[in-house]
Amino acid sequence: MTAASNTFPNAQQGETAKKARFNSDLTQVKIGLVLILLTGVGPVLAGNEYWIHTFQLVNIYIAASIFQNFLFIDAGQKSFGQGAILGLSAYGTAILFGLHGVPFVLAALGGIAAAALGGLLFALPALRVQGFHLGFVTMSAAIVFPQLLVTLDRWTNGINGISVRIPALVSPVAFGISPLALLVTIFPMLALIVHYLIRRSRLGRNMFVSSLSPEAARSLGIKPGLMRFSAFLIAAVGTGICGVLYLPVVAFVSPQGFNIELSFVFFFAVVVGGRGQMLGPIIGVGIIYVLPNVLLAQFVEYRLLMYGCITMVAVMLFPDGIVGSIERLRAKKNHGGTGERAFRIDGFLSQLAVAGVAKEPTEEIAVEVRNGTKRFGAVVAVDGVNLKVRKGEIHGLIGANGSGKTSLLNILTGLSRLNDGSFYINGVDTTDYPADRIANMRLGRTFQAPRIFSQMSLWDNLRLGLDARQGKGSDEIDALARAMESEFGHDRADLLSHGQRRLVEVMRTVLKESTIVLFDEPAAGLSKSERNNFADLVRFLSRQLGKTVILVEHDLDLVWGIADRITVLDQGRVVSSGAPEAVAKDAAVQHMFVGARHA
Amino acid sequence: MLSEILIIVIRGIAIGSIFATIAMSFNIVHGATNIFNFAQGNMFILGGFAAYFLANGAGFGTWSMMLIVTGLAIAALVSFQGYITLLPLRSSVEQDSWLISTVSVSVIVGAILMITQGPFAYSVQSIAPSFRIFGTRTPGAYGLAIFAMIFWYVALRLFLKHTYAGLAISALSQDFDAARAAGLPVRRLQLLAFAISGLMVGSVGFLVAPVISVSPDAGLKYVLNGFVAAVVGGIGSNIGTLIGGPLVGVVAMLTAYKVGGAYQDVASLLVLVSILVFRPQGIFGRVTARRV
Amino acid sequence: MLEVRNIVAGYGTIPVLRDVSLKANAGEILLIGGENGAGKSTLLGTIAGFNKPDQGEILLDGKPIGGMAPELVARSGLRLVLDGHRVFPELSVYDNLRLGAAAGGRQVFKRALEEIYDVFPVLKEKHRLYARDLSGGQQQMLALGQAFIAQPKVLLCDEPSMGLAQALLPPILSFLRRWAETGTAVIIVEQHLAVTSSYADQAMIIERGTVKFSCPASELEARLGAAASVG
Repeated sequence: MTAASNTFPNAQQGETAKKARFNSDLTQVKIGLVLILLTGVGPVLAGNEYWIHTFQLVNIYIAASIFQNFLFIDAGQKSFGQGAILGLSAYGTAILFGLHGVPFVLAALGGIAAAALGGLLFALPALRVQGFHLGFVTMSAAIVFPQLLVTLDRWTNGINGISVRIPALVSPVAFGISPLALLVTIFPMLALIVHYLIRRSRLGRNMFVSSLSPEAARSLGIKPGLMRFSAFLIAAVGTGICGVLYLPVVAFVSPQGFNIELSFVFFFAVVVGGRGQMLGPIIGVGIIYVLPNVLLAQFVEYRLLMYGCITMVAVMLFPDGIVGSIERLRAKKNHGGTGERAFRIDGFLSQLAVAGVAKEPTEEIAVEVRNGTKRFGAVVAVDGVNLKVRKGEIHGLIGANGSGKTSLLNILTGLSRLNDGSFYINGVDTTDYPADRIANMRLGRTFQAPRIFSQMSLWDNLRLGLDARQGKGSDEIDALARAMESEFGHDRADLLSHGQRRLVEVMRTVLKESTIVLFDEPAAGLSKSERNNFADLVRFLSRQLGKTVILVEHDLDLVWGIADRITVLDQGRVVSSGAPEAVAKDAAVQHMFVGARHA
Repeated sequence: MLSEILIIVIRGIAIGSIFATIAMSFNIVHGATNIFNFAQGNMFILGGFAAYFLANGAGFGTWSMMLIVTGLAIAALVSFQGYITLLPLRSSVEQDSWLISTVSVSVIVGAILMITQGPFAYSVQSIAPSFRIFGTRTPGAYGLAIFAMIFWYVALRLFLKHTYAGLAISALSQDFDAARAAGLPVRRLQLLAFAISGLMVGSVGFLVAPVISVSPDAGLKYVLNGFVAAVVGGIGSNIGTLIGGPLVGVVAMLTAYKVGGAYQDVASLLVLVSILVFRPQGIFGRVTARRV
Repeated sequence: MLEVRNIVAGYGTIPVLRDVSLKANAGEILLIGGENGAGKSTLLGTIAGFNKPDQGEILLDGKPIGGMAPELVARSGLRLVLDGHRVFPELSVYDNLRLGAAAGGRQVFKRALEEIYDVFPVLKEKHRLYARDLSGGQQQMLALGQAFIAQPKVLLCDEPSMGLAQALLPPILSFLRRWAETGTAVIIVEQHLAVTSSYADQAMIIERGTVKFSCPASELEARLGAAASVG
């Protein structure tokens, strides 16, 4: 068994020149840390009380905007109400500490718990709706929040607010630096690092895929709803800590402090700085908040107007935001490399083959549909279908447009449910299983339009398969993964040709170690030579790796060339099924060849 | 007691009619462009300010002329906003920018009002005399609110079903690609939809100024409630708003009566969340209204 | 009338058409055949402005229209009838026809409307009904009628047979035939070549995004037979 990664041929032919980084996240994090350190410690060293206070608040807003950035881009959740989350925690802490004398640390935990609860409330509608619906809900919550603070004056002191003094936090301990100054410097730095680490983690990738393509996520065994909940929770806890820090900095909470304006500051900061850029929130807060409130302080009543105008101008002139526009230029400049154009996988795959032993289909059944029926309103898309796919075989599923092939595929992957009948995967009744559960039974699929995410590097795109793997993987796949990482870690996915994208999706299923692979019209858009290569690849998956393959395809030549069995669907019914030679002679199938083949 | 409840219900229906009209103004723009204009609430409040500055205490002649002027001016403003909002959508892959640009226009309009008018609520005299229901004086503008809802419902229906431009806007919302293939002037129709929505909220803001809080920060309340009315009725369904708007209005009024005035918006938010969780397509919404 | 020179086009990064050229002459029907997924619909969509070609030229009456917005292409006299008999379901039959005039002159509307009602009397009969209440075949007639109202110089017709009973096809095809003979260049994309080819003048087969061959429609059957026995 070859397990050493340096024996992979492709890994060796990589250019000796170092590739430009796929993105500048790490550089941006470094610059960001320095900037936060400057705004945190700078004013203290200068010894100006006003600047100290102002920049402590700035740093808190930076941290909150970092979490807004994470929630908005990495998790795709459009929340306009993060100001209310911050307020929940600030008020929660103030009530417990200031009004009831609970020790500060416990009060802070209570405040963060309140923020977390608020985040979960936001997540609830996010399970059903996305986009502008969610924007309206969260914005409404941000409108309602200060109203409630006023109304619930029995607990909140109403319009008078709550004053809080925490001498232990604000009195300097060394070099004129107070514990608070230290905290509000360290926390935003921590927030930035946490954002960076989440983005690079399996959780971060899963969240990202869930937001861009929920069906791709589910087919990789991810629960998009759980991802949304987690994202809201993480953002709420982070923003909640901001709320706790807000309290000693301002020493006072009142309903006016947490109106919708605050939420807009965080949201606008992300947009103006650059959506999804690590450095974006820091630059964004600088422009949206510092510019009007500090440098143009004499025009303070115009600040809302400035927020709005700056954002409007940014959307029109720099749709990617300030940092985003710079990053785009950088990426353009570095585009000399051709590594991605040479994306090939045969070298990698040949190492996986167990030399000489070709596997043949067994008599065991991998997938079985019994009397399956699927209706959409009055239309019967799948009509009493019976289907058996043996382990290790290549099973072609053909039929005209609207014959029910794709409906059947979606049922098998759990993306849609049968109305009647049942289906089994490796003997387990999976009729009512959700898609992610089916995916976790080592079933993988590709999509008609490959789900390739240009925001991720090529390796991260491939890695989604590895992320989705169940249990401990085999050594060969681990070695393959290491080789691919070193080869494609900094390549871009958006330069791949369509055929290569197709291969990336196939490789995902290989890295996932799926035993059953479903292809949805894989040959569409491939050139003749790409089709031939694809046919070889499918044969390889089946005969060398022993995978069961179900192939929905229009290209009859391709299907007849590689399939062990073929099932023909017409208007939702199986009209013929069996070995290719037998199916070709079936009268019910003859008319399909009218057209280019004209048999 | 019973009559008290009845009065509350009638007032709720009247306030809800305002929400319904705002919801209809959402619908026409959303149908033609897939955009939800977050600034619509502040455009509505602009109409209220126009009533205060142009026609407070004026005679019927001046009042009705100013109503038309206000409607047209806000129609022009909103169609300009629409033009700006649609610009980046022309070529960009990023189809979310409208969310940001309409929110920022809303903030800009609110901020200008705040700077020029201060954080005060302005009271506007009613042109319509108050009337008595169950022995209680009811402001005439409540009647105007209900009238405006019915007027705009009928006007929109006639426009969308019987004029060429209206049919074309309906066509855009039914099958965008087929409309383009048929050569319908897409951009012009979309701007027209924006203009009509501006005409609607501007004129209604003017009409109902006596019974709303004409203040710079009130716009958000109306954009929220208008959206709730649209969601309850089913987005895209104008007949749904006739139910959704008054329903939201009555819930808000009953909440104010039973729990307290400060909880009105909380009640609307709860209605919104429960509809989205349990019946996201709304009461009259169809699951597949649009072909992509 | 319409000339397409070496276009390369696709969706996003998915290439569908590679180096496709064609010519459609006034008064003739060009039939384009090929398997599902060969790129026929993409070809029509690209000509009509729904897709920007990456390379190549599209000339209507000698003027380049490649990359123009679809509504502008329609107004320059090229009308695409989308597949799947797409009409505006919530509008009446009459209103659907009326909107057809968007790309043509409104003065010719009355005359063209009468002609359509003559050819498809069922549309006149049901002119007050919602288009969603028509059968698939009637919707196809309506879609074609809407295009006819515009009196385009070039008509592109994507799979007129899709979802229709075979018996409905001949009247629709003979309508297209007569329409072409009034001096319109007509392109039909079809899978059912056997029925359609007898109505066409020219034929072209697309395979995997490229032109496999072009020939007079009368020779199509023979050419296909030859291709099948070779391939």
